[in-house]
Amino acid sequence: MKSGIWPPLLLGAGIIAAWEIYVRAADIDPLLLPPPSAVARYLVDNTRMMASNSAATLEELLVGFVCGATIGLSLGILMQVWDWFREAAYPWLVATQMVPIPAVAPILVLWFGFTIVPKAATVALMCFFPVAVNTVDGLSSVNPELIRLLRTFGARPWQIMWKAALPSALPRIFSGLRVAMALSVVGAVVGEWVGSTHGLGYLMLHFENRGETAGLFATVAVLTVMGIILFFLVGWVENWAISWRRYAKETL
Amino acid sequence: MTMVPAAMKARGVSRTYRDGTRMVTALEGADIDIPDGKFVSIVGSSACGKSTLLNLFCGLDKPDAGSIEAPVLGDGELLGRVGYMPQQDTLMPWRTVTDNAAVGLECLGSSREAARKRALEHMDRFGLSGFEHSYPGQLSGGMRQRVAMLRTFLYGRKINLLDEPFGKLDAITRASMQAWLLDYWQENRCTIVFVTHDIDEALFLSDVVHLMSPRPGRVILSLDVDVPRPRKYGEVVTSVHFNELKARLLQSLGRQA
Repeated sequence: MKSGIWPPLLLGAGIIAAWEIYVRAADIDPLLLPPPSAVARYLVDNTRMMASNSAATLEELLVGFVCGATIGLSLGILMQVWDWFREAAYPWLVATQMVPIPAVAPILVLWFGFTIVPKAATVALMCFFPVAVNTVDGLSSVNPELIRLLRTFGARPWQIMWKAALPSALPRIFSGLRVAMALSVVGAVVGEWVGSTHGLGYLMLHFENRGETAGLFATVAVLTVMGIILFFLVGWVENWAISWRRYAKETL
Repeated sequence: MTMVPAAMKARGVSRTYRDGTRMVTALEGADIDIPDGKFVSIVGSSACGKSTLLNLFCGLDKPDAGSIEAPVLGDGELLGRVGYMPQQDTLMPWRTVTDNAAVGLECLGSSREAARKRALEHMDRFGLSGFEHSYPGQLSGGMRQRVAMLRTFLYGRKINLLDEPFGKLDAITRASMQAWLLDYWQENRCTIVFVTHDIDEALFLSDVVHLMSPRPGRVILSLDVDVPRPRKYGEVVTSVHFNELKARLLQSLGRQA
């Protein structure tokens, strides 16, 4: 991050320029690979349509992410508090990740119809797992000496959780949240593929069926930018929440 | 030995624990008296069960045999009623100096604000002025130790257990911290149980020194340090009487080795 935003932007610009030159020089059929200029023109001409579909996807994604993260965090805490629960639940949590999401999504549509629910649920299903696993690991990494000290202060278990375990787990929890955010973009698109009437995932299918390759590329570009912004947003919240980290020369 | 009533006493205490595959007997039939209101040191080599004894005194652990009594505290659970300063400073890197010092009060049920206010009142006395809002990672070893000590003393118990509080400090910082601790204790009397492996430190600070044998730990010598207070380091450690006491301790240690 030290050298800032310029190296990735320059690299991106270089790749796009090379792509443009290649498509023009080799006279590629724009239905197979449209030049970036055509994609850009498509974006400019259809800004409003792209924006409204992005908003729909963003809503599903955020609702699903918040639900998934909350569920993951709660499960992680419960698994840390109750050993029996961890032993009983862990294999089943892993099992939920083995089920192919595209196979589950139609069932969700069957249950909840063409609403936001199946998409948000798909996102939540993908999100909760990395958060839960990282929460458990983070909570168990708390310095045992610190727990002993708090016990000599007569701390109750919930005080130990709140004052010691959760703060020391925060870096791990945020790692989980970043992975979850990256997954939730995929989750929202898959949710839309199975049954929807709008959203970026819906648009992708739409353009694919009509052979509008430039529109398809434009949609992917918007989705990518949205995902990147969301990912870095989590990182930004993390830096704010763990602002003490820059002073922690030694690990506790 | 002394006519002062005991703040705490151990009678026939044994404690064995598992360390990997082997069983370690840390204490065996240990008797020990901690007279009320006194500065008491427990001295011994690295593996003599000193820390095990402190764990029993603060209620984190229970003896396999024998009993731990705290006559000045009355009956009941010790946990939460005896101040304890662990060997590691265990400061929380996400809390400022003030909030670290206040955590014990928070556990007692004080609001964060009230606890913080109490902690701030003591910053000057603990040499932490100007660092109230710093994070532990920004402090020197001696300062971290003072934050940890403030945290223990703010909890305000009659009996405070300090586990090698100056063990990791350099000699110069250590000497100034010893003098500081004595001053503070003179103003705010409580019973202190001070664990160390440094004989000079123990003699300079204490009213009573208990010498422990290597594992399984027992008290092999209890010494009254009848050096008048206030004590000045340079005068005390060079005095004839101090060196006589030191010789007795070293002799007992030698017999063990």
